[in-house]
Formats: sequence, structure tokens, C-alpha cells
Amino acid sequence: MMVITNQILWLALAIILAPLASGLITKVKNNLRLRQGQGILQPYRNLWKLFGKEEIVPANASWIFRVTPFVVFATSVAAVFFLSGDLLAIIFILALGRFFLALAALDAGSAFGGMGSSREMFISSFAEPAACLVIFAVYLTPGATWSLAHLLAGLALLIVILAETSRLPVDNQETHLELTMVHEAMLLDYSGPALALLELSAQIKQLFWLCLLVGTICPPVLLPYGFCLLGLIIVIAFIEVGIAKYRLFKVPDLLVFSVILALLAIVSALLGV
Amino acid sequence: MNIREEFKNKYQIEPITVNTRLEDESYLTVKHEDFIPACLALHKLCHSPVMMMFAEDKRKTRSCYRLNTAFYAANTQHWYYICLDFPGADQEFPSVAKEIYSATLFEREIWEMFGIRPEGSPDLRRLRLHEEVWPEGYFPLRKDFTPPPATGRTGQEYNFIKGEGEGLFEVPVGPVHAGIIGPGHFHFTAAGEPIINLELRLGFTHRGVEKLMEGKTLTEALKLCECVSGDAAFAHSLACCSAAEKIFDLTVPARAKLIRAICLELERMYNHINDIGGIALDVGFSFASSFASVMKETILQLNDSISGNRYLKGVNVIGGVTKDINERSAAGLIGKLKTLNTDLKGLEEILFSSASFMDRVDSTGILRQKTAEDIGIIGLAGRASGLTLDLRTNTEPYRLAGFKPIVLGTGDALARLKIRLLEFKQSVQLINSFAGQLASGALASIPAGIKEDFALGAVEGWRGPVLYWLKLDSNQKIERCKITDPSFHNWEGLSYAVQGEIIPDFPLCNKSFDLSYSGNDL
Repeated sequence: MMVITNQILWLALAIILAPLASGLITKVKNNLRLRQGQGILQPYRNLWKLFGKEEIVPANASWIFRVTPFVVFATSVAAVFFLSGDLLAIIFILALGRFFLALAALDAGSAFGGMGSSREMFISSFAEPAACLVIFAVYLTPGATWSLAHLLAGLALLIVILAETSRLPVDNQETHLELTMVHEAMLLDYSGPALALLELSAQIKQLFWLCLLVGTICPPVLLPYGFCLLGLIIVIAFIEVGIAKYRLFKVPDLLVFSVILALLAIVSALLGV
Repeated sequence: MNIREEFKNKYQIEPITVNTRLEDESYLTVKHEDFIPACLALHKLCHSPVMMMFAEDKRKTRSCYRLNTAFYAANTQHWYYICLDFPGADQEFPSVAKEIYSATLFEREIWEMFGIRPEGSPDLRRLRLHEEVWPEGYFPLRKDFTPPPATGRTGQEYNFIKGEGEGLFEVPVGPVHAGIIGPGHFHFTAAGEPIINLELRLGFTHRGVEKLMEGKTLTEALKLCECVSGDAAFAHSLACCSAAEKIFDLTVPARAKLIRAICLELERMYNHINDIGGIALDVGFSFASSFASVMKETILQLNDSISGNRYLKGVNVIGGVTKDINERSAAGLIGKLKTLNTDLKGLEEILFSSASFMDRVDSTGILRQKTAEDIGIIGLAGRASGLTLDLRTNTEPYRLAGFKPIVLGTGDALARLKIRLLEFKQSVQLINSFAGQLASGALASIPAGIKEDFALGAVEGWRGPVLYWLKLDSNQKIERCKITDPSFHNWEGLSYAVQGEIIPDFPLCNKSFDLSYSGNDL
């Protein structure tokens, strides 16, 4: 009973803190670009605003469109829940959410949704194998002692994170150009509470990936863990500001690189280097 | 060249009249059957696309329409017009578009604005008065035009070019976009991500500028032309002024000429740096774009400090300028430009040393020289594709400053980016040279007398040639004003440049052209 309560408390904390990570990344990015930018609490305000708005559903959308925000939210929460459990299961849980989101984007019947779905599936067909291998490598390199395997797995995971959290150079969350969007294109037909739920899910998923990476290189002690998380956020902000988005068909190159890093991590873990 | 001799000996065309009142313009009125051969002859002789083609409604005085087709001979800096008078009852003229592609849009424009039909034209769809809302039979530029009653939707529709085949699908985008940009409708036919065809539909910002111009005094017209395309306000007002100055035979004082040239280059600089930042932003390279936006703001403030307006409005008057650049502000200007030049070098290094950025712009959106020439691309986009036309060549005060147009050959987004970088540096040099030449003197000459005449004002704005053809009536009001922004020529270039590119690269290609919606829609 105690364990369950504990788990639920952690889960609640993760959900509450998830938007903060987004806010922090945006803040650091803006400061790097010599801008004051929005406050770190802005994602909360956005969610609050969206939850209070009217929801508009496209006329020809089916039940898939309505049910998807809940499915995606559930999968993101489940991912965090299983963070200390079966990691491979999480990949499949997240894939389920992605599958529904892609379907829902097609369901609305707009051209952008279709483009978003096809691109998301194209990218994830490379990102998912990479994620699986990385997680396998993480399994093989437990413990707090530093090794080459840690480094390689960490790098591979960082690339997977950029793809999974739709960040540059794979996707651009800040863009206003509907023709270049990947994840955003799938959300274009959503509004109000449904959109809020999807954004919150994306933020939870992002926190999950960040924690997964921090967990491989840092012991689960509050202070170092927090510092590592903050450091990772700053690293991601630096990457996003300093790099241009890859041409869509070059994204696989990057993810294949991540696969290779993960394989090397596995090999070096097995050899004990 | 003696055009009358040339026409007679080489092409067996005898113009009815040749009007050479103006130093750099010749108007050749030809017979109906000679119209197309004469246009083709000039097209070849001048190596020029149809720079401008427009009609005049002269039914009241001479019961005819007049059609003017303008070509530019760059080697002699001379404008040639083929003029055709045809009876008002005919409402038809032979279509040149079948022979010269660059006339197509102009003919569509004439058809929708005057209701005179280019006989045999391959394309008669409307450009600006959209079929959906504008009823048939109302032609705004006719002198006896009355606006249609507000009827709402007409039930008509625009026919897009349909691409058919397995796996092809259509992606309609706009005119309402996700960002704050101008309204344009882009109709893609795509096979997966690669673009098979792109058809543009513009005209959403049509305000009827040419109609509004009619009956205005020159002073009123000057205010209006600064609003035709806001980011080229100075080039537009300068083109309008030079047309009026040619009509009045005014000599613009040397000091005013230099101040105008300085302003024209400042306008070029702030737009170029804006686009360099825009190109970086559209590929997600936000650091470089922030850097560029700081530089743009510096130039806008510089504009404000020398002219009292961030977009250089209100500087030009007929005969000269209203704002002076004294010694102190000239020194300040040169000091600021020096810093900007250093900043630009820094920006260039940031861009060119970023592998991810270079990978995106290099060989993306190629517009080949032959294509550019055939469809009549002019200005910056033309120079990136190897075309040499630049109206500043061999004109004062540019000749004295040793001006040479910057021309690259690859025609991709990188070439258009590089031209901007190089022209920015060139503008700094030019302004330095102009500011050094400022000798004391008058700022403006004053137009005198009453002139009932017409002339062309042509200015190389930052996108390319901005053309104003003005005709004054006996009351010194504007009878006809034809405006051509380079965007009108160049939008077509975009739809060729993106063929074979993937859809997510379209915004980058679009930004590398950065054409004006309002300048095109008028």
C-alpha cells in the first residue's frame, strides 16, 4: 500500500513539474538569443488558458479524434509510471500513443494532418529502433561507476530525446511554418482542453525521456539528480539555438548514428570497457 | 541603335510613328499586323523580357484603346515601347503571350482590368478580381467603370491546374497562414514529399491602386505610392518622382541625387539583412536570425535619425528630397555603417561555418539561368541565376562610385543569400562614397509650367526594377499610372524553383525570393 501511494505521489509530482521543464528550455533558449522571453511558468498559463476554452471538433472527425487526447495522455503517464520498471514496455506504450495521434491527425481530413502523420511515422520508424537499442544499452550499464559505455549510451539517448521530444534538428516547436511542421502539424485541428491535454502529454513524455537520460549517468539522489536535469535542459537549449533543422530526409542519418552509438555502448558494456 | 532603320532593314516593319521626345524612351506605334513581329523583334534585339505591358483607355478622346509593351535595352539603358492603337469597339488584340512567356501575366491583367481580350492567349484566368466574389463584366480600369453591386459570392470558381496520377495528392495552403505573413494561396501537387507542381494564386491584397491613382495630383500620388509595397516605400516613391521629373524636364540637384541614392541603399540594406535573418529562421537557425534582427533594427533607427521615418517615407518630393544629410549626420552614418559591416562579417561566419545551415540552403530551390531568362525573372533573383540586369549600372551617381552589379550563376537559395550578403557590403561602400561626394547645393528643384505628357520612372529597388509609368492630363491630374513591382515578374520564378524540392523546403525557397504580396496585387 505504502509503495503504491509513493508511486502515485511521484507520478503527480512528475505531471505537475513536466511543463516547468519546457518553460526552462524556452527561457534558456531566449536568453541565449539575447531576448528576455517569456517566464518559465508560461507553459502553465498556456495550459490553464486552453483548459478554459471551447473545444471545436472538425465536422467529419470520428471517435478516434475525440478519444486520442486521452489515449496519448494515458500512455505518457504510464511511461513515467514504468520508469523504474520494464523499460522496453514503455517503448511500446509510447508507440501506442503515437499510433493514435497519427490516426487522429488523418481523421480530421486536413492536408497538414496527413503530412504530419506521414512525417511522424517516417521519423519514428528510425527513432523507435534507436530507442530500443539505447534502452538495452542502459540495462547493461547500470551503476554509478563511469565508463565508456555510459558515455556512448548517454549520447545515443540524447539524439533519441531530440527526435522524441520534437526538438531541433529533427522538428521545430517554435516554427510558424505549417509546411515544415511534424508534431505540431498533427495537433493543428485540436483546440481547447483536448489540445491542452495533448500538450501536457508531450511535456510529460519529454520529462520521462530527460529522467531516463539523467538516470543512466547520475545516482538517484535528489541534489545531483536535480543538477543533472538542469544541466541537460541547458544542453538541449544550446543545441536548439545553435543548429539549423535538418532536411527531412537527412533526419534518418542522425538517428542511424544514434543506433550505432547504442550498439557500441552495448559492445563496450559487454566487454566491460 | 537607330530603331527605325533596324526595324526596316532586318524585320521589314515600318512603324507608323516613332516618338523619341524623351532621352531614354522610344515609343513605336505599329500597325495591327506588325504588332507581334515588332514585339518579337524588340524581345530579341534588347535581350529583354516584357518589362511592362499595359493598356490605356482613350475611348473618350480618340475612341481607341492603346496597348504599350515595354522592353529594356540594358546595353544602351534605353526603353522601347511597341504601341498599338485599336478601336474601342474591337475589344481584342493579338496575344503576345503565345510567343513571349513573360507577357502572360500582363495580358491576364489587361483582360481583367480593361475587358479587352488577348486573342489566342493560353490563359485568361483572373489574377486579382477573384471569380468567387467579383461578377463578370466589370472592368475597373475603364474610364466609364461603375463598381458592381455587393452581391456576395458569384458561384464561379478558379480552375487550378490539376495534376493526375497514382500517388499524387494536392496540398492547398493559405491564404490564411499559421504565421503573420502576407496572404497567398499555394496549391501544391505532390508525390509524397517531392513537389511536382506549384501553382500560386495571389491578389488577396488587391486595393485597386492604379484606379485610386487616377485623378490624383502628383503630391497625393506620392503619398499613395509609398504604400504600394511598404518594404520598398522609398524605391516606389523614387520611381514615381523620376517619372514626374521626366515629364516636367526637371534637373534634380546633385545633392538630392546623392541623398536619394543613400536612402535607396539603406532600404536595400535593411531588407537584405531582414531576409538573411528570415532565411536562417525558416530553417530553424534562430541564433543567426536573432543576430540579424538586431542589425535590422539598427538600420531602421538609422533611417529614422536621418529621415525622421523608419521606412524612409516622406523623403522624396517631385524634384528632389525634403530631408538633408548634414556633415554631422553623415559622419554618424558612416560610423554606424562601419560597425554594421563588422557585424555582417560576424554573421557571415556564423552562417557559413554552420554545417547544418549550409546543408539546407546549398543547391536548394535552383532556378536555372535559361528558365529565369525565359519566364522573365528580374532583379535580385535574376542576378542569382546569372542574369546581369541591374538598373543601377551606368546611371548617376552609381557610375562615379564605380558600381558593378553582383551576379552569381548557381540560382539556388545559397546564391540568393550570397547576393544579399555581397550587396549589403556593396551598399556600405556605395553609401560611403556618396556621403563623401555631398557638396553643398539645393535639395530640390521646383516643377514649373503645365505639362500634358507621359514618362517612365525606373528604379532598382532591393528586389529589382520598380517601374512607374505616369501620364498627366491637362489639369495636371494623373490620367493613367501603371505600376510594376519586380514581384509581379518573379512570383512565377518561385513556382519553378520549388519543382522537385520537398514540401518542407518550400518556406526556405519562398523566403530566399521574399516577394511582395501587396506589390504584386496592387
